[in-house]
Amino acid sequence: MTLYNPLTANLTHYLFFTGKGGVGKTTMATATAVQLADAGKRVMIVSTDPASNLQDVFETKLSNQPQSVPGVSGLDAANFDPIVAANEYRESVVAPYRGVLPEAAIQNMSEQLSGSCTVEIASFNEFAKFLTDPTIDQKYDVIIFDTAPTGHALRMLQLPSAWSNYLDQNQEGASCLGQLAGLGEQKATYQKAVDTLNDANLTTLLLVSRPQWASLVETERAAEELAQIGMTNQQLIMNGVLEHPTDEPSQVIFDQQQADLRNMPTSLQSLPSAEVPLRAYNVTGIANIRKVLQTQQPSVTAESSPQTQFPSIDKIVDDLIKQNKKIVFTMGKGGVGKTTVAIQLAKKLAAHHKKVHLATTDPADHLSLFKIDDPAITVSHIDEKQVLKHYQDEVLAKAKQTMSADDVDYIAEDLRSPCTQEIAVFRAFADVVAQNDSDIVVIDTAPTGHTLLLLNSTENYAEEVKRTTGEVPQNVLDLLPRLQDPKQTEIITVTLPETTPVYESLRLNADLDRAKMPHKWWLVNQSLLATQTTDPVLQARASSELKWINQVKAVSNSYYAVEKWQPNFEQVNLTF
Amino acid sequence: MKKVEIFEPALCCPTGLCGPTVDQNLVRLTAIQRSVNHSGKAMIVRRNLAQNPNAFVRNKQVAELLKTDDMACLPITLVDGVVKKTGAYPTNEELIGYTGVATEQVKTQ
Repeated sequence: MTLYNPLTANLTHYLFFTGKGGVGKTTMATATAVQLADAGKRVMIVSTDPASNLQDVFETKLSNQPQSVPGVSGLDAANFDPIVAANEYRESVVAPYRGVLPEAAIQNMSEQLSGSCTVEIASFNEFAKFLTDPTIDQKYDVIIFDTAPTGHALRMLQLPSAWSNYLDQNQEGASCLGQLAGLGEQKATYQKAVDTLNDANLTTLLLVSRPQWASLVETERAAEELAQIGMTNQQLIMNGVLEHPTDEPSQVIFDQQQADLRNMPTSLQSLPSAEVPLRAYNVTGIANIRKVLQTQQPSVTAESSPQTQFPSIDKIVDDLIKQNKKIVFTMGKGGVGKTTVAIQLAKKLAAHHKKVHLATTDPADHLSLFKIDDPAITVSHIDEKQVLKHYQDEVLAKAKQTMSADDVDYIAEDLRSPCTQEIAVFRAFADVVAQNDSDIVVIDTAPTGHTLLLLNSTENYAEEVKRTTGEVPQNVLDLLPRLQDPKQTEIITVTLPETTPVYESLRLNADLDRAKMPHKWWLVNQSLLATQTTDPVLQARASSELKWINQVKAVSNSYYAVEKWQPNFEQVNLTF
Repeated sequence: MKKVEIFEPALCCPTGLCGPTVDQNLVRLTAIQRSVNHSGKAMIVRRNLAQNPNAFVRNKQVAELLKTDDMACLPITLVDGVVKKTGAYPTNEELIGYTGVATEQVKTQ
């Protein structure tokens, strides 16, 4: 694979970078922006990532208005947080009615506007503004976004009934689109934005991935989803390829990366692709951003890494035993190693003579692949796709009895919303917990606060009005109060010692707080610092972890542990 | 032309599908609403607390009901401005009565 070079990569007027948190989207987007600007192009970079570190990377304060980046002529930047926008939107809807409508009505409104759909639509709204503004179009040669719209948002906007029902009449029911008011006026803007995204001559989607199995699988999924809705001009950037291993940990990483790259999903293999090696410095500040895509790199010398001792996962296990917890969730965004941590916890709890039920949502759907032969551990698998499909089929079957094909399509898209998926998985959790066949249940994913509040409010509402339809399954009703009881439940936040994963985890925590769900422990996974590596490139990465480990220590009041980096950590407990 | 207004509690989406459970009532209502409105003989308008809170304040009867009965009064059905039903969605038969439209969908229910 060749080194990624934005000048020769055949890029278009609009560029979208996409990839899971922690793969280096913002780094790739900013390095592209700076290199194009240095080559004399007029460039604008827009961040719509709620965990954006554009300000840290450029070491300058940004706002949602384009402003010039000091030190790079020809480059403007804007930072837009869709979560802030969604909050502002919610507040603007709710505020005028405080004291006018009863408190229960205010709460009801507020929660319905707190889901992920609101945030997704708020993001799309921002994309649309930048994609259709003629001044921006003319002023810049290249316009770069460090995130891409979600498939759900794009599909919503492409449904004919979404436009005709909602935008024209705005009175028949609409879907997640209805999250933003005044949409009718924006019909033309949205349509133009969608057309631009689907025009291969105007828009390139840059898929950023780590040279690592789980990251590649995730990238393939995103590539296919966005291609299906028309974003077909795609390129792949493999970020963080280790080049010259010098000690044992770096050799292990090197071997793993090369093996995973050889087994890359075939659909990705056919895309134009380029790589960016793992660098021996943190890519912040203009000087480093300029360096990251250069062939010539500064020479690095090994420095003695700080001798560090961190608490291990055993500390968490001891506390779970002491507190006699009944339900333990490992929570975090994809790719942080929730499943591995859950399996480790299950094994360690079993070693303490606990009967454990381990429920996993890991997509490797063959239970026999888990190397768990301890009779004290029962393993069950929640197939997220299958439970969602089951729920969707159930609804669609009912809907087809009464609705036209157009309407059914419309409902079908509602059923692809992130909220629906969360609800479907929640029902599956509830069934596992209800089996009551163990001392402690360990689940490798956690419900969001939003889901819990939705379910809770429905429960209250049902009590109030004795509503008979749409009843919540008994297992779900039984689980709800237990999830808010710190004597029974613990939600362990699993994260990586990097910017984006830590920010994302903090957000997940805030959501749990809203729903009063108990979470005390944090686990920092995949720490290079803990491997005591002597490889200069890895050491540079490792020393940058300290800042994030310390931040986790602070926010968790020292209820934290650190696990060292392992090769193929997603698969470490699997045999093939 | 008869005008039926239904004031609903806040929903993520009117089908209720994004909500915690499938509310068959909402799916039924969405279908009937479309069919009645397409007939051109009557109109059913739904007002959702999350998306159109102003309607709940503007309509004095609705605002008053909310004050006295709180959320329990929702959903509220008005026909040509007169409150016909509170605390539950209208049945198909009631909707035929209100609108005078017996659409195919409504009949086959």
